[in-house]
Amino acid sequence: MSNSQSPRRRSTQEFLRQGAMLFLCFLATAGVTPAAAETVVEVRGASLSLDQDVYELDARLEVSLPEDARKAIEAGLTMRLDYEIELARVRNYMLDATVAKLVQSYELNYHALSQRYLVRNLNTGEQQDFGTLQAALERLTEVRGLPVIDSALVEPGNAYEGRVRAVLDLNSGSEALRWILFWTDDWSATSEWYEWPLPP
Amino acid sequence: MAASALSRAFSTALVGLGGLLWLAAILFMAQTAQNSEQFSRLHPWILGINVAGLVMLVGLLATKLAQLVRDFQGHVIGSRLKARMVLIFGVLATLPILLVYFFAVQFLNKGIDSWFNVEIRKSLDDALVLSRSALETRMREHLADTQLVADELTMSSEPMPGLLETLRQRVGALDIVVATDTGSVIAIGKGLSSEVVPEEVPGEVLLQLRQGRPFVSLEPQPEGGYLVRTAVPMGDSAPGRQRLVVQAVYPVAERLGALADTVQAAYQQFGEKDYLRRPLKASFILTLTVVLLLSLLAAWYGAIFTAQKLVQPIQDLVKGTRAVAEGDLDTRLPLTSRDEMGFLVQSFNDMTKRLRRAREDQLRAQQAAETERTNLAVILARLSTGVVSLEPDLRVRTANRAAGMILGEDLESAVGLSFGELGAGRPGEGLLRQFVESCGARFAAGDVEWREQLTFKAGSGRRVVMCACTPLPGEGDAPGGYVLVFDDITTMLQAQREAAWGEVARRLAHEIKNPLTPIRLSAERMRLKLMPSMSEKDAQLLDRGTETIVQQVEAMKEMVNAFSEYARAPRFEMASLGLNRLVTEVTDLYRAQVMGRGVRLKVALDPALTTVLADQGRLRQMLHNLLTNAVEALEGHPDGEIRVATHLATRDGAEFAEVVVEDNGPGFPRELIGQVFDPYVTTKARGTGLGLAIVRKIVEEHGGSIEADNRPGGGARVRVGLPVDESSRGQAWREQRGPEPRRERA
Repeated sequence: MSNSQSPRRRSTQEFLRQGAMLFLCFLATAGVTPAAAETVVEVRGASLSLDQDVYELDARLEVSLPEDARKAIEAGLTMRLDYEIELARVRNYMLDATVAKLVQSYELNYHALSQRYLVRNLNTGEQQDFGTLQAALERLTEVRGLPVIDSALVEPGNAYEGRVRAVLDLNSGSEALRWILFWTDDWSATSEWYEWPLPP
Repeated sequence: MAASALSRAFSTALVGLGGLLWLAAILFMAQTAQNSEQFSRLHPWILGINVAGLVMLVGLLATKLAQLVRDFQGHVIGSRLKARMVLIFGVLATLPILLVYFFAVQFLNKGIDSWFNVEIRKSLDDALVLSRSALETRMREHLADTQLVADELTMSSEPMPGLLETLRQRVGALDIVVATDTGSVIAIGKGLSSEVVPEEVPGEVLLQLRQGRPFVSLEPQPEGGYLVRTAVPMGDSAPGRQRLVVQAVYPVAERLGALADTVQAAYQQFGEKDYLRRPLKASFILTLTVVLLLSLLAAWYGAIFTAQKLVQPIQDLVKGTRAVAEGDLDTRLPLTSRDEMGFLVQSFNDMTKRLRRAREDQLRAQQAAETERTNLAVILARLSTGVVSLEPDLRVRTANRAAGMILGEDLESAVGLSFGELGAGRPGEGLLRQFVESCGARFAAGDVEWREQLTFKAGSGRRVVMCACTPLPGEGDAPGGYVLVFDDITTMLQAQREAAWGEVARRLAHEIKNPLTPIRLSAERMRLKLMPSMSEKDAQLLDRGTETIVQQVEAMKEMVNAFSEYARAPRFEMASLGLNRLVTEVTDLYRAQVMGRGVRLKVALDPALTTVLADQGRLRQMLHNLLTNAVEALEGHPDGEIRVATHLATRDGAEFAEVVVEDNGPGFPRELIGQVFDPYVTTKARGTGLGLAIVRKIVEEHGGSIEADNRPGGGARVRVGLPVDESSRGQAWREQRGPEPRRERA
């Protein structure tokens, strides 16, 4: 079930998809329904704290899924949530230097037999199940103590800035069907970068 | 031309790019045929390439159609045929494609719907419910076991850890956790194989227990299989005391778990596909639509291309034919095929090649004829012989300049007139009229090939023209026209006569002069020897006889001297001299002589006349001869008058000195007026007949001209034209050689 699509590739696909859709709509042959309410992903807060010489991330998201997206998940599609985390050294006259960069990925899908929502940490392989979608989303939208960088790599005296954003997308568990998603409504969303200074 | 080449290059570039895109799409398709993940990844690109190809094809087609419409509206040759062919080909291609498209869409809709029919959905639902029921039975059993464990723990007084392990083993749980209702773990009973079982009680479980409801759930495992988590509260807790809960986790039999996983996977995949049914259908239909559009556009483009290919040679042929009709024989049509059309094009090219060769030959022949004609015209123009060509109906076809000069008319402007009209309206003695009458009489008599010397009257003189007529070759027996060739031989005849007379004079001088002296000497000797011995009567007779002999010998000597003078070769000392002064000198010598005879001598000199280029002695002799001639003509004529006048005249841009000597005597006899300059032509009893002959000779030696005629009021008149300088002498010389001056001389 793993999916290694990068955001750039997704945006390229999005561009092509929109172009093709526009063209085909122009030809008045497309039967694709227009996009309904949009998915909203927003980073509400994030911080890095030092714990045993390791900076750990605490972050909290707000995710709002449209009803169609919820139905799609219940129908069997997989929701994927990526946390893109960067730690950059702030420089005055140059672009900031990225010191650490990692992606924390989760997948959420519905298990019809057990009627449970499964949340899987793609980085560790851990899986949790929840009785409701809301409970599963709450788990997904809360990151606690995610190790980001060893404190030895952070040079004292320099200014650092943490950045985090979330990318949400719906995907198919089946490779053979994944191309059809090109023609579905777009429930993917990407939050703005949330930036904050690292305390000295 | 440039725009057409640019359009062709643009179309070729588009076709090339389209071909590359198609190739790329096929390569992508080949790569992804066996790999669905790659297909998913490349699917947008494949679609994009197809759409790009579609756009290009639309562009190409639009360009071609616009061109076709422009050609049609502009009535370009072949555009109607091309439009008709495109329409037929296009419709023939469109109808089956649309039919196939319609049935394919129907098939797709029904086919995809058949994958998700109600029976399958219900079967899967039933399978899921069945699986769930099977598992729920186990879950209820495990919940009962957990409740039993909780009851045992509540009632037993044994130490909890030992009892917990005993109970765990009895109910077959992986682990059993006793915790407070806030989640604090009090005791754990854990099997060795249950590493994955969490030791904490989830909040969700605690929440439900706090609500007084037992908790049981089926938990799928990441690596497959299931666990059953159960939790129940322990006994009744006393108020104020913390309530305990028991959580037990049970394994699901591997076989059952696998079956459940299978059902779950099938259900999930079906649900996923069912959910994606609409976009799946849409994507298939859209793909089919793209293929349809590509096929349609390609078919129409192919129709235009094929029609263009078929019509192009026809258009080329029409253009080529028009070009040939307009005279462009360099037209060559491109040979685009080897079929019948190619054969036609090849034949056209061969035809134009042969036409061009024929035209070049014709041009060469025409140029050669033109050159010949020009040469002939130059030769005719330079000929001193007059040439007049006539059409079969006797209209003037051509006439050279010499003809006009000989006949004294501009015949070059008379081209096209009938031969008879040439003489109409001319004066009675006009040369042209006499010529037309003479020749016309021949033509009227049906004589078309003849040669004759014609003599015409010309003022005080006569003109002799040698004329020949020859028919021109024509078609069949009919003549293609006639050509009259004639030449003024007056001068030639005159020269011949002069030469003959010169020879006569020379022989006379030689043969007669020699015996004259012995005759005279013999006569004088006879007189001298015989007279003294003779009687007076005989002596008188002898004296008269010898005197007569001596006088006659002297007279004969004078005559022989005159002959010698006529025949001798001229010795000139040309110099510029004043003609008026010379005329004055000579006339002064005669003034006294003529006054004694009662003749008036009037001299009128033109002050504009300054000098002439002449031999003074010869010119003086010319004036003496003229004046002597006039004086002798007035002998016995009462109230005689001689007029001598000079003029500065201009003829053809050249200046001439004109000397006119006239008298009021009897004039020249009309029958002799054309021969007055011939030797031995005289009307006087004692004249030698050489005076005017010598005058004319002197004038000709100076390159001048002379005319003799009678005055209207009676009397003779002689006009002498002399050149004033070398240029006019040259002019006179040229005219003397040419036909023009002949008219002036008698």
